[in-house]
Amino acid sequence: MRSRTPTHVAALVAAVTIFASPAAYALDPEITSDTAAQFYDVRSPTGETVLARRRLTTTLGVSAYDLIPHDKTSHDASELSFRARMRYDADYGANGGEADAGNSNSLVPGFSRGPVDLMYGYLEGRKFAGGWLGFKLGRQYMVDSLGWWSFDGGEVKVTTPYYFSAEVYGGLEVRGGMPLSSPRFERDGIWRGDRTGYDPSLYPSFQPSDVAPAMGVALESSGVTWLHGRLSYRRVYNTGNSNVSEFASGLIRPVNYDGTRISQERIGYSFDATLPPSMPQVAGLKGGISYDFYNAKVANIYASLDGYASQKLTVSLDYDYYAPTYDADSIWNFFAGEPTNDIGVRADYNLSDTVALAGGGHVRILEADTAAFTNTGSPNITIASNPNYYPSNGSAFDEGFNAAIRHRSGQNVEAVRASGNFGKDGDRVGGDISLEHVLYARYIAEGRTGLWHWNDKLRPDRDALGFQVVAGIGYKLAQRSRVLFEYEVDANRLVGLRNRAMVWLNVAVTK
Amino acid sequence: MTARRHLFSFWLLLASVLCAATLAVAGDPPKDTAAPAAAADTGLVSPASGPPSAKVAPATPPAGAAPHTGTAAGTTRGLAPMPNDAQVPGKLLPPGSFDPDPGPSDVVFPLQRVTIRFNHKFHVTEAGATCKTCHSAAYTSQSVQDSLIPAGAVCDSCHLTDHSNPQKVEAGDGDEGKCAFCHLGYKDSDGNAVARLVMPRANMVFNHKKHVDRNINCQQCHGAVQELELATRDQLPRMRGCFRCHQMTDAAARGTAKSDCTTCHVKATASDATPSGAGSGRMKTLFASGAMLPPRWMQNAAHTPDWIERHKFVAGVDSQLCSNCHREDFCVECHDGRVRPRRIHPNDYISMHPIDARQAATKCTSCHREQSFCLGCHQRLGISMSGPPGARDSGRFHPPKSIWSDAPRKPGHHGIEAERNLNACVSCHVERDCVVCHGGQGVGGGFNPHRAGFAGGCQTQMRRNPRPCFVCHAPSDGVLAQCR
Repeated sequence: MRSRTPTHVAALVAAVTIFASPAAYALDPEITSDTAAQFYDVRSPTGETVLARRRLTTTLGVSAYDLIPHDKTSHDASELSFRARMRYDADYGANGGEADAGNSNSLVPGFSRGPVDLMYGYLEGRKFAGGWLGFKLGRQYMVDSLGWWSFDGGEVKVTTPYYFSAEVYGGLEVRGGMPLSSPRFERDGIWRGDRTGYDPSLYPSFQPSDVAPAMGVALESSGVTWLHGRLSYRRVYNTGNSNVSEFASGLIRPVNYDGTRISQERIGYSFDATLPPSMPQVAGLKGGISYDFYNAKVANIYASLDGYASQKLTVSLDYDYYAPTYDADSIWNFFAGEPTNDIGVRADYNLSDTVALAGGGHVRILEADTAAFTNTGSPNITIASNPNYYPSNGSAFDEGFNAAIRHRSGQNVEAVRASGNFGKDGDRVGGDISLEHVLYARYIAEGRTGLWHWNDKLRPDRDALGFQVVAGIGYKLAQRSRVLFEYEVDANRLVGLRNRAMVWLNVAVTK
Repeated sequence: MTARRHLFSFWLLLASVLCAATLAVAGDPPKDTAAPAAAADTGLVSPASGPPSAKVAPATPPAGAAPHTGTAAGTTRGLAPMPNDAQVPGKLLPPGSFDPDPGPSDVVFPLQRVTIRFNHKFHVTEAGATCKTCHSAAYTSQSVQDSLIPAGAVCDSCHLTDHSNPQKVEAGDGDEGKCAFCHLGYKDSDGNAVARLVMPRANMVFNHKKHVDRNINCQQCHGAVQELELATRDQLPRMRGCFRCHQMTDAAARGTAKSDCTTCHVKATASDATPSGAGSGRMKTLFASGAMLPPRWMQNAAHTPDWIERHKFVAGVDSQLCSNCHREDFCVECHDGRVRPRRIHPNDYISMHPIDARQAATKCTSCHREQSFCLGCHQRLGISMSGPPGARDSGRFHPPKSIWSDAPRKPGHHGIEAERNLNACVSCHVERDCVVCHGGQGVGGGFNPHRAGFAGGCQTQMRRNPRPCFVCHAPSDGVLAQCR
């Protein structure tokens, strides 16, 4: 909250400066803002209102392109641009005590009623040094085989004429609890945030945020149209004090761990290839793998083989292996979490230029240990006595499907979809019909209705059939600006009738 | 199991019926009114009176026109690419064409209406013409806005016509000089009016001169037009063909044949609308002729109806491909979302999300951080063990304690569930919840959560970050010695 006003003002001043500057060249600026107001209740399975959500989420983006004057018909010219976006995400329905460190009865650690964060803000250069050099400076996202990530710092990319490019980056990982930051893209497994004002005995599991130095490198193929690959390596450190006494009393004795230690160290490779290289109309293969050095195990493998059976039909086979890994500060790295394996087949068919079908099915194999084991470090289990149950077959199969049909003409879309997942813990199956239309280039009409059934096998009293209707109308104020009102009604026997009203306002101001 | 299969079949059948019903009742949606407005801006050779009527250039007379009645020999030629409207052999199509080939992109090369008859093969092989004879403008053209269709005056010297004054064109004496010889549907009573040719400009960036200057001949992009009679949209370039030269990113590589998308595709300005909400710095993707989407052969990135379910296979491999059209705003609408996207989470999803989470059906962590997003809400709702004392008690979430957590473990015990999907635990519990029982050597109950063989490989973790060890084990614990 403390930095909201100054940052908004700063962004506004920057924007005004950009727009008002008497640039002699075609500087291309824009200011955008997306606002969503949501009004709904979250109810317990008994139908009782638990949380009244009165949310306002608004973003303010400022961008400026072509900061260096150049001949726009030239493809060799260096390009410089700036992009930034801030976000205010408030819940006015929240109880003030939930964010009050002095109110131990209501405090929800890490919760903020109106946090402001800088989603990204960077200066990007391309095609410098004769096209060899590109860079990004500032807060930026990175997406590759290691997943989504966000950091403050710099990235330098060298593109060579030898069919590869190299990237080096470094800075500080974006972490929740730090100024203008969100925890979204830090590694999971640690409950962490701003402990300012907390009594040390209050929520000892809630760890204090501190700076997290990070660095990485990547090698990527460049220019080969039938094969693309990217090898990525990343290392992030945790710093500062960490409380390892999970109980206020510390039980044996309070322990703090203070020191620079690894947070994550991973390497990943991903590729896509045309099969055979000179015939992209036949098939394509994609895949990726990531390895976690701290846990010394493969965390993820995925692959997808697409066969283009005809001009209109594509048939694919997918595989996905996932083993949970967490921030190296997390105890869950050491728990016996087994991997899941997904095997799926899918197909899509273009019925015509505007109508397309797609569907697929999969099985998910969830593993559990079948072999009894003992560990002398555990006082409860001895070799002589292990009364625990171990499943004779550790692989539980879940199955699922999805199917969709879509008619798209210009900006108008009508779609029907259905999906289902069936497993030993529960089933969920249903479908919905939706339409999005732009009428007379100005008026927006949206609608959706759906019917879903879920069956909770661990809690049979919570099975239900849910019905939903959503209607929306809007108006396009300009090319990239619109206002939209949506009303949603959900009904099921558990929570009764729930209503949700939403107002959207998207605004873009350009030169 | 049988009941489950019956339920599965029932829902599949229901979905099929819904699909069929929707198709049956779905009429043509209202036309995008942007289209006519843009058609006027498409740079026609002659002003268009309406939008094009067919995907492939029709060689037949426009609607309402009388059939051509010329008497000269060969009047049936030049109405289609091949005699008798036979299919054009793949080897005559532009490089990069498929077999069979669906033609070039309708969005990049909007539909045309060709209202003249022209036999390229005759002109090249028998009349001695070259490409340059008629399309000389192409050799100097630096923009797709240039008209490269020859003016009527080019024909005059052979057809003995006079097109010098478009308002008063003089016919030639012979059959080949009659207006109807070339202009489809022309009748003598039409006077000086001929059916309009609709040839919208391409929605791309192209400099013919640059290519000609590099000795790239016409056939390298347009195929063997000299072997065809009428040239249609099908002879316009294929992106795959461009890739034969345009292989390298950025300026460092291979001359100037860059593979940046905006080398050939139109770069958006801030004011351009795009489906993704993106503007400057990316490709322009929304045109009057439609939205430009990636073709299937390009990493199978075609945005099919199940794209939302499978896009990870493309984006995870090459996010740069996505960023050619989409800016980060578009992606984080879901991946750092604050508003529930109904395409992903339908209906009253909050009521059914526990089942999805337990099945890991859609990996929650793709868009949510469990120890902040999920945990925070669970604590506020009073579902989590670690919620504030003042939170309303929402009741026991898990099955009865005797099954779920009492020792020894039995079928349905949380230990087995945790092995199968540890993430589901992490979305609701904090460290202390587990340490109460799993902490060792006096810190907790001492129930060992490690997998078999853990001690054999724990030295690396202990050396690089011992913090999680100390959560459950006092630093002085003898058991830690095997990890040191």
